[in-house]
Amino acid sequence: MQVDVSGRGLVTVEKYYQDYGSRARELKKQGRRIMGYLCAFTPVEIIAAAGFVPFRIKGDVNEPITKADTEMETIVCPLVRSCFDVALKGKYEFLDGIVIPHACDSISRTYDVWKYTLNLPYSHLINMPHSTGEPSLNFYKSILGTFRTSLGKFAGKEISDQSLNQAISLYNQNRAKVRELYELRKTAPPSISGAEVAKLLIAAVSIPVEEANQLIDSVIKEVKQRKAVPAAKPARIMVVGAQVDDVAFIDLIEDSGAWVVADDLCPGAREFFADVDVTADPIDGIAERYLRKIKCGRTFREKKGDYEDYLEERFGHIGRFIKDSKVDGVVLYIYKYCDPYGFDVPAMKSYIESVGAPVLYLEDEYSMSTIGRLRTRIQAFLELIGSK
Amino acid sequence: MAALSQYFAGVDIGSTMTKVVIMNEAMMNSVIGPTGPEHRKLANRVMEEALAKAKLVFEDITYVVATGYGRINVPFADKQITEISCHARGVAHLLPEVRTVIDIGGQDSKGIKLKEGRVVDFVMNDKCAAGTGRFLEVTAEELGVSLEDMGRLSLEAENRVEISSTCTVFAAQEVVAKLSEGVALPDILAGLHEAIATRIYGMVRRLKIEREVALTGGGAKNIGLVKALEAKLGFPVLVPPEPLLTGAIGAALLGRDMVREAAEKGGTLVRSKRRLTEATLFT
Amino acid sequence: MTEEKKPEERKPRKHATEAAGKIGPMVKAALAENLRAKEEGEPIAYSFIFSSYDEIIRAMDIMPAWTENYAGVCGAKRDAQRFLERAESENFSRSLCTYALCGLGFDSWREETGEMPPDAPWGGQARPTVMLGSGQIICDPRYKWYQAAQHYMPDVPVYVAGLPFPPYEDDYDYRDVQDYYVKYIVEELRGLVAFLERHTNRKMDWDRLSEVVDISDRTWNMISEAYDLRKAVPCPMGTGDAMNTMVPMTFMMGTQEAYDFFKDLYDELKRKIANKEGIIPDEKYRLLWGGGLPAWFALSDFNYFNSKGAVFPAEVTYRQVEPVYELDMPKVSDPLEHLAWRWVKYWAYRHDKARKRPGSNPDVERLIEYIEEYKIDGVVIHEAFSCRSWHPGLIWQLNQLKRVYRDIPSLILESDIVDISSYNEADTRARIDAFIDTLEAVKSKKG
Repeated sequence: MQVDVSGRGLVTVEKYYQDYGSRARELKKQGRRIMGYLCAFTPVEIIAAAGFVPFRIKGDVNEPITKADTEMETIVCPLVRSCFDVALKGKYEFLDGIVIPHACDSISRTYDVWKYTLNLPYSHLINMPHSTGEPSLNFYKSILGTFRTSLGKFAGKEISDQSLNQAISLYNQNRAKVRELYELRKTAPPSISGAEVAKLLIAAVSIPVEEANQLIDSVIKEVKQRKAVPAAKPARIMVVGAQVDDVAFIDLIEDSGAWVVADDLCPGAREFFADVDVTADPIDGIAERYLRKIKCGRTFREKKGDYEDYLEERFGHIGRFIKDSKVDGVVLYIYKYCDPYGFDVPAMKSYIESVGAPVLYLEDEYSMSTIGRLRTRIQAFLELIGSK
Repeated sequence: MAALSQYFAGVDIGSTMTKVVIMNEAMMNSVIGPTGPEHRKLANRVMEEALAKAKLVFEDITYVVATGYGRINVPFADKQITEISCHARGVAHLLPEVRTVIDIGGQDSKGIKLKEGRVVDFVMNDKCAAGTGRFLEVTAEELGVSLEDMGRLSLEAENRVEISSTCTVFAAQEVVAKLSEGVALPDILAGLHEAIATRIYGMVRRLKIEREVALTGGGAKNIGLVKALEAKLGFPVLVPPEPLLTGAIGAALLGRDMVREAAEKGGTLVRSKRRLTEATLFT
Repeated sequence: MTEEKKPEERKPRKHATEAAGKIGPMVKAALAENLRAKEEGEPIAYSFIFSSYDEIIRAMDIMPAWTENYAGVCGAKRDAQRFLERAESENFSRSLCTYALCGLGFDSWREETGEMPPDAPWGGQARPTVMLGSGQIICDPRYKWYQAAQHYMPDVPVYVAGLPFPPYEDDYDYRDVQDYYVKYIVEELRGLVAFLERHTNRKMDWDRLSEVVDISDRTWNMISEAYDLRKAVPCPMGTGDAMNTMVPMTFMMGTQEAYDFFKDLYDELKRKIANKEGIIPDEKYRLLWGGGLPAWFALSDFNYFNSKGAVFPAEVTYRQVEPVYELDMPKVSDPLEHLAWRWVKYWAYRHDKARKRPGSNPDVERLIEYIEEYKIDGVVIHEAFSCRSWHPGLIWQLNQLKRVYRDIPSLILESDIVDISSYNEADTRARIDAFIDTLEAVKSKKG
């Protein structure tokens, strides 16, 4: 049973964002099964093809972490800890299972803690490799095969190629719509704010992909029909980081006198821009997308050519965004205890500066109490950009 | 009012000290006082004091810029600008050859990189007391030494000790332990200054330090800290005549810059509608 | 690793075994050997321990430079701070692995000045020819650290060998997937050989590799058998010593020297047991080091435990071998295949055992096994704040151990592997004292 959101796109986004999980709860009552997952590296096509509703587990910057510490170390990435804490507090009681990819240490080394503590009927770790060569791709296809078999068993029915192809098609549509949405950010000033985009994408990963597609369509339409011209703000900012599943930080920047017009985040461009290629064996296309197309610090790319080429290979997509979206400055927003991004900071900073954009590197702990402290730095960065 | 007599005011509400500067081409008046908790009242009072000293009234001021930790609590300010931009502007005016500014305040410290007088990069430490004036305050208390004497005494050290704790609280414990072991006070003080200089140097190094380097803020008045930093840098640093005022001076100058730019473009700046007296109604 | 030099004259730590006492000079000699090799133009490979490529490097006469070891040396000598600070000034977060921060700080310093940092511990670490990472669930720095180091040494090539192992899951058994795991690992190791041949002037001698793999198998067995002797009461060797004897296991695997070392250790322990010679004369409490890398600058804490009558007959940390004859290995002639099977079987060693106990997993099973076989009274874990690989999960393991096995006294110590500013000796000793009291109370209740 689909929900018609035409004309009420932004309002619906607000509802799904503020009461995160409400749609999943409704669907559960109607007999759907909900599969929770962490991270943009979970192959949601396989989950959807099996008939489950993939549900992205998110944290809460306003909720102090209290329960998680009894089972999970505090040196784990604060976002993962917050997700776990919120799960322990019963916010995701509708989950039928959990799928966790081997993304990084904080996610994969806590798998047992998630598995045994939440004790859901289904749990699976997708042991994705870190490298991108042929042997790794083949290994990953086998890993996906194991996952497909396992999930099919739990679903009570093998996952057919046909259902996979259908899911891939829907998700590719979803990605195309997000790319269309991002076109609205290129205008000066942008037609849609960074906060609105963030909320929409976060809401979108908590509902079935067909509904997300409708929602994005609605929002694009509403935005295009807007009469009021958004305020001209002096700076166009791009935010680069790992997972930012809360709008608080984006708001902080936009409240300080800038528009966030581009990103390399998840949920964000990193997560939504690349498609699954249509291949004879759908697993091939899926494997290629997740292992090679998504550019994230957890995936090791081998250096071919000289060092400048290497930086271009790893971070070139950021350079293209800076150019295409006329970005004035880049904020590197990295959590404390984040390995995939923490190690990359000097190289990223060096690359972005070589492309001509100033960089503000911020380290944060995923909590409203620490986010507020960043206000002065952001303001100073905007002043710096303004004085150029 | 002739353009030459335009007065500009900078109000810098730091966590420990509040500074107001009123200036034009010919003169500069300033007031420095302790901040305390009630920023709003304080801002008004200090402003009134500064005006009195300059023999002006509030209406004489063309533009007011507020900066510092408490800058949102200056109701009569026309603009709020971060202390990073303000310190940079102040130093660019006072010491134009400076490329790197190190500001050591009561509760935070900053490094600012300048190019042609403008900020191009900065770092801040406002999370951890160990790189700030607070570190010395806490340990001074433990040792029973006044803040004023700490720096001078530290220079008398013969055998500087190493303080291994990077945390202010643990360092204070360590210092007390060493004192009871009979270690000479100057040696301990030298160790403390070394520790804070190490923290600050470590932070500022992220900017790829370029000469000349200037020190501002309360920490710049501590000769022991200045020497310890110079030892780390390997060259002397410049200290403006009144290091506490660079932020307020910079704020006033930025206000002047903005007014001039607007005039050149043929417009006028939007001013805050608040008056100084209005604000005092709420006190 | 045990020499601690400071102006305040730290006494060298006392060892229970002669074997452990040999280690400091061994490490120093190995580092000197690296510097000599560098001077003579021989290839040097930055390497990570437990990455299943020791044998390959040894067979090709390539000198491994164990960067984790060097960081540990800096930590033990209490001279890591300046390298950590240097890394921080490069914008590396202080929350990252402090081995990596130490290494990155050291490398960026060496590269900037063109020479070793002044007074570098034990002569320093030579600039490598190649850098060898690994991609697996053990640890992110294994594929990020050397990539980050390449920012300072862009001409030094990096190879990341994929070395996954099957997780312990309820929806499939490791035997269902072992074939494709082994296939992948073999391909990655073959790729490593090709990479090394391309970037150094060495060629793989496959017969030699088979020999080296055989030595390492026998060394695995010898280590297991030697360490098993520590089940004796009184215990002849503790974790403090094991944090030294790990050196040949991790840094010299595949060499005759390593095998001989553990053979000597085995003989020494047999002698001690025959003479009823324990670590301490009056052994009151037997403890399991249940997880966590040690604080390298505070190994003397083991002596402190000893002074309270407590000994550590067993540890989980740096005991990354099992008897090969118990691993149910298929017979293969290709040494790379053998290595790949050994890797997978090692990690799956306690999967079957864990299935027999509801709520258990291989890590918990290992704790239970050691508790029973080594007659353990209490479990100690060390949470090193910068290591996100070995430490997340320890709290859960301890809790789960108590849930599925029994409520055993436990102690959690907190500091770091290399960053001494995280360590508070007074606080640590106070916690140890309180734990000893608990152990005593439990003991007297048992009567």
